[in-house]
Amino acid sequence: MIITKKKDRSKLLKTLEGYNSFYLIGCSECASLCGTGNEEALKEMAEDLKAQGKTVTGMIVPKTGCQTLGTKVELKKDKDALDKTDAIVVMSCGAGTQSAVEIYPDKAVYPSNDTLFLGNMTRFQMFDERCSLCGECVIDKTGGICPVTNCPKGLLNGPCGGTKDGNCEVSDEIKCAWVRIYERQKKLGELDKMKEILPPKDWSAKQGPHKLYTRADAAEGDKKGKDKK
Amino acid sequence: MSFKDTLESGKFVVTAEVGPPKGTDISVMKHDMELLKGKLDAVNVTDNQSAVMRICSLAVCKLVLEHGLEPILQMTCRDRNRIALQSDLLGASVLGIRNVLCMTGDHVSAGDHKSARPVYDIESVQLLQVVDSLNNGKDMSGNDLKGATSFFQGAVVTPESNPLEPQLMKFEKKVKAGANFFQTQAIYNIEKFKEFMAFARKFPVKVMAGLVVLKSAGMANFLNNFVPGIKVPQELIDEMKAAGKEKALDTGLNITARHIRQLKEEKICDGVHIMAIGMEDKVPVILERAGLL
Repeated sequence: MIITKKKDRSKLLKTLEGYNSFYLIGCSECASLCGTGNEEALKEMAEDLKAQGKTVTGMIVPKTGCQTLGTKVELKKDKDALDKTDAIVVMSCGAGTQSAVEIYPDKAVYPSNDTLFLGNMTRFQMFDERCSLCGECVIDKTGGICPVTNCPKGLLNGPCGGTKDGNCEVSDEIKCAWVRIYERQKKLGELDKMKEILPPKDWSAKQGPHKLYTRADAAEGDKKGKDKK
Repeated sequence: MSFKDTLESGKFVVTAEVGPPKGTDISVMKHDMELLKGKLDAVNVTDNQSAVMRICSLAVCKLVLEHGLEPILQMTCRDRNRIALQSDLLGASVLGIRNVLCMTGDHVSAGDHKSARPVYDIESVQLLQVVDSLNNGKDMSGNDLKGATSFFQGAVVTPESNPLEPQLMKFEKKVKAGANFFQTQAIYNIEKFKEFMAFARKFPVKVMAGLVVLKSAGMANFLNNFVPGIKVPQELIDEMKAAGKEKALDTGLNITARHIRQLKEEKICDGVHIMAIGMEDKVPVILERAGLL
């Protein structure tokens, strides 16, 4: 899921100073699990705005904020409250925020969160990054553990000299990705895979802005998009 | 005789380091180069070591050449993408630099520009392949070069890394990728180093033992606790302690000299790489005590 963190509230309120009324949009998916865009978070934001003498014309937690079409349909139901507001505050990720920008081209839209990474929730509201969306997955060669993400240097061919007792030179909190890969490959009896030199990554696969159309009737659009591979 | 020819002739080689300064005052570095002239087979020029911003390695390599020493260009992948790395390598070649040491590079979090964006477009093993390719007249994309490079390329290895096996597997990859010589991370335990050499000797590469001069018992403890892949044995720490503050540095120089002597006399490896870390002016003393001058 997409991991988000609340922006510093006092800085955000300062950014919103020039507006009098707000409509709040959360998201029932990732931002709810992060506690940044669920109903509770929205209510808290409304209280903070009211305390500044602002009006909150309404709020909604759409099912999937980044699903633009569905969100548009949900927002239609609250048309009056949205028409009345000076600005919209989106309490999900950068994608959800830009859904609102697309749906309301004439309204000011502000994000209340910083969007951090694609993460796994290991326990309630504890998130770890495992995949950095590099566009060219290599974990078939690395025992299912991604060195591009889990090694701060993204090394593809083994540990650097900075590995210390199985930990990373960047932080003792990080276990060396290549020691993890080594231990796993060893357990699986596949250490030979570690002997293969992995070639430089094709970073063009990561180059955005991406577009991907997989609908049969959108084949024409796909050709125009960036992902031709 | 060039560094490459000397190393390949089987003679025991000695290299040291020149650390480019932060700023344009190069008087101390020039003084060190004068002192080292004629005493070394080559001198490494570090590349923004510890991710601390300084004069670039390439420019200092040229100065080293002008001072009559042979430079080894240290190249890390931290600050340059594949275009910049290849471009700098071609530049180094036309400036007459013939040796390159390919490294991944310390992470920016270790240095003095912690908010910098680290590059790591490629890494050490792949950089060795790139040098090999440039030597064969092709760039990384397979384009023909008008004039190939002729680098003698080296790499680094950490014989005291824990766990060791993945480090040795990477060593093998570096050999396969074209490394001709290795300079190791600092070693202090010669008996343990012999075990590493028993492995390394299976490959057609030259190995130079890395030696860092101990300045105090405190420094030894610091290395053990904070520097990955370095282990100073207790008996050396005791020896430094026993020397007392006054004689600590002198004892450290003696230890390095003693290790060089043993490595050479017992033919354990092909040479040594002395990392004096700010005490480059002491290198001649070490060499004298090791019987190499």
